Amino acid sequence: MMRLNRRHIMQLGGAAAALPLLGGQAFAQEKVKVGFVLIGTPDDNGWNYGHDQGRLFMLDAIGEDKVETTVVTNVAEGPDSERVFRELAQQGHQLIFGTSFGYGDYIHRVARQFPDTRFEWATGNLTAPNVALYNAKFHEGRAVLGTIAGLTTKTNKIAYVGSMPIPEVVMGINAFALAARKVNPEVEVTAVYVGSWFDPPREADLARSLIAQGVDVITQHTDGPVIPQIAESSGIVGVFGQGADMSAFAPNTHLTSIIDHWGPYYVQAVQSLIDGTWTNGSVWPGLKEGEVLIGPYNPNLAADVVAKAEEVKNAIIDGSLHPFAGPINDNTGTERVAAGDIIDDGEFWAVDWYVEGVSVVE
Amino acid sequence: MQFRLEKRAEPSRLMLYLAPILALAITAVLGALLFSVMGYDGIGAVREIFLTPLTNPYKWQDLAVKASPLVIIAVGLSVAYRANVWNIGAEGQYIVGAIAGTGVALLTYNLSGPWILPLMLVAGMAGGAAYAAIPAFLRTRFRVNEILTTLMLTYASVNLLNYLVFGPWKSPTAMGQPQTVLFSLDQSLPYVVPGTIIHLGTPIAIAVALIVWLVMSRSVFGFQIRTVGLAPHAARYGGFSADRTVWMALLLSGALAGLAGILEAAGPFGRLVPQFPTNYGFTAIIVAFLGRLHPIGCLFAGIILAITFVGGEVAQTTMRLPFAAVGVFQAMVLFLLLAADFFVRHRFRAVEPKTSARPA
Repeated sequence: MMRLNRRHIMQLGGAAAALPLLGGQAFAQEKVKVGFVLIGTPDDNGWNYGHDQGRLFMLDAIGEDKVETTVVTNVAEGPDSERVFRELAQQGHQLIFGTSFGYGDYIHRVARQFPDTRFEWATGNLTAPNVALYNAKFHEGRAVLGTIAGLTTKTNKIAYVGSMPIPEVVMGINAFALAARKVNPEVEVTAVYVGSWFDPPREADLARSLIAQGVDVITQHTDGPVIPQIAESSGIVGVFGQGADMSAFAPNTHLTSIIDHWGPYYVQAVQSLIDGTWTNGSVWPGLKEGEVLIGPYNPNLAADVVAKAEEVKNAIIDGSLHPFAGPINDNTGTERVAAGDIIDDGEFWAVDWYVEGVSVVE
Repeated sequence: MQFRLEKRAEPSRLMLYLAPILALAITAVLGALLFSVMGYDGIGAVREIFLTPLTNPYKWQDLAVKASPLVIIAVGLSVAYRANVWNIGAEGQYIVGAIAGTGVALLTYNLSGPWILPLMLVAGMAGGAAYAAIPAFLRTRFRVNEILTTLMLTYASVNLLNYLVFGPWKSPTAMGQPQTVLFSLDQSLPYVVPGTIIHLGTPIAIAVALIVWLVMSRSVFGFQIRTVGLAPHAARYGGFSADRTVWMALLLSGALAGLAGILEAAGPFGRLVPQFPTNYGFTAIIVAFLGRLHPIGCLFAGIILAITFVGGEVAQTTMRLPFAAVGVFQAMVLFLLLAADFFVRHRFRAVEPKTSARPA
């Protein structure tokens, strides 16, 4: 543990002055310190769990003799996070991952004060000399889930419980609905918003009322497994894991899951820090790169459904299928994307409309 | 033997001041025990939570930034509570204050000048006061309990905030994310201590506490508030209008909560986002009571709460103490402080059980 006060700074100054004498050896033996700032706790079995599994994967791959990590949990997106980022930087963490969009302003402020500390902002949209971005194409996985939902629903009513109407959620809904209607044009998708990333009572209420309205397949874009639990106890056709495999919470109903596999990215980022090759890049991998995985399929799922899901997954991986390939109409019937065109990665962030077949409950 | 709880005739002055220190000492011991049982370095953890924020100069700025909004809101609440007006919706007034001030910021986005920030602060106070005027009107006109209305209006204010940042106020350059534009330099709070993040809100918080203290102890207004709170009948006899007092208490506490809101928006946040509500308005209720409903007491109570927040984060990062354990510790601080305060004024006295008359 290191704390900065005047005396320590003097010592640090002395140590720093002596460093050139030791050469690179002193650095090579020093463990790198890596910080992780989480918006919830790893036991949410979802988003935060995914990041923490990624951290453990990285520790395992690089070795605890070379890297040590600090995890700060339940950090609110706001000025409280600025304090945490500064604290971690002051304690000598060389690389700090902020795993939520709302940390951006504060990462940038602290990054300006600590130009030698590297920061990585998950799902962010602005780099700086020492701030990199990383994200994952969750919507690619949504296309696979949508395919399964479209093929398995009996009532043709499926639902998407989103956190808030931000681009990655809106586009998750669109990818899900497009894929579902491609295999089953009768499907109607109801989208509802929780207004938060983690609000189990409200998520449960929404799921119950959707089920009462005849919805028999639900997917959710929040941080925890409460909706799979409700789905299981209601005995509907299906539900999916989000961020992590949630089959333990719904053994019969859980059809498959989108797994955020951050591990390889964390390995690469930390290794580049150790090698001195870290850059302020911006990456957005998906199914192809293995950052988004489709979890195990439920053994009760019909073989032809699994085959179709695999087909969609593999087509996205080999590039023959784009989740947002035209023609795409919005839910008012206006054509938004012409046949032969796609919504590319740049246009993605500007989409604030829903595809045909989606009704949003405000 | 039975025990009976009774009020002490005259609380010991020495104990009045010693009790909080005693409570903190007991918390430290219990906390160290708890953390040790959990397998952490208990003494080290308590040191990180309680002492590091005070001994490490780098942490002072965090204490100042964290305590300032708490103090400003709590001072306003302490006045209202003294008048027996139970405004528990400071969080809502805080949010609406921030919204009102941000409205000014967005209208003046392309302008510059030193008048913009003061105008934002005035708008923030006006917004908070206007939002508190609703429960004041309902209470004085229709006798609707202000505990309910102030609380319910907090939820309404959150929805108003979300509507604005997801809708008309969304920045065109935010790539679809719900947030307003970043405030310009003329719309942002200046830092008052160079090289730190201590902003104008800190001197304002101190000034608010001092001014309200003077007003409460020296003016007819302060006398009216206290009289109406302590002895409503005597107050009416003395010619003080109860309704007027309700209005003043709610407008003042609302205005101060609104001021804290716009200071937070124009300072640490720098823009309005859905994550703006951070429960300062609710935490300030604890601060007000911890400060014994005295403006200067609120100043110290705000710092104590800031210490537990900031220190809790330090312990999380340096000792790897889990968030929940830090929460338990914070709760323990408050519980013991309030218990100590209670026992300064009350005591248990052993009494003989009443022998009931038995039939022979």
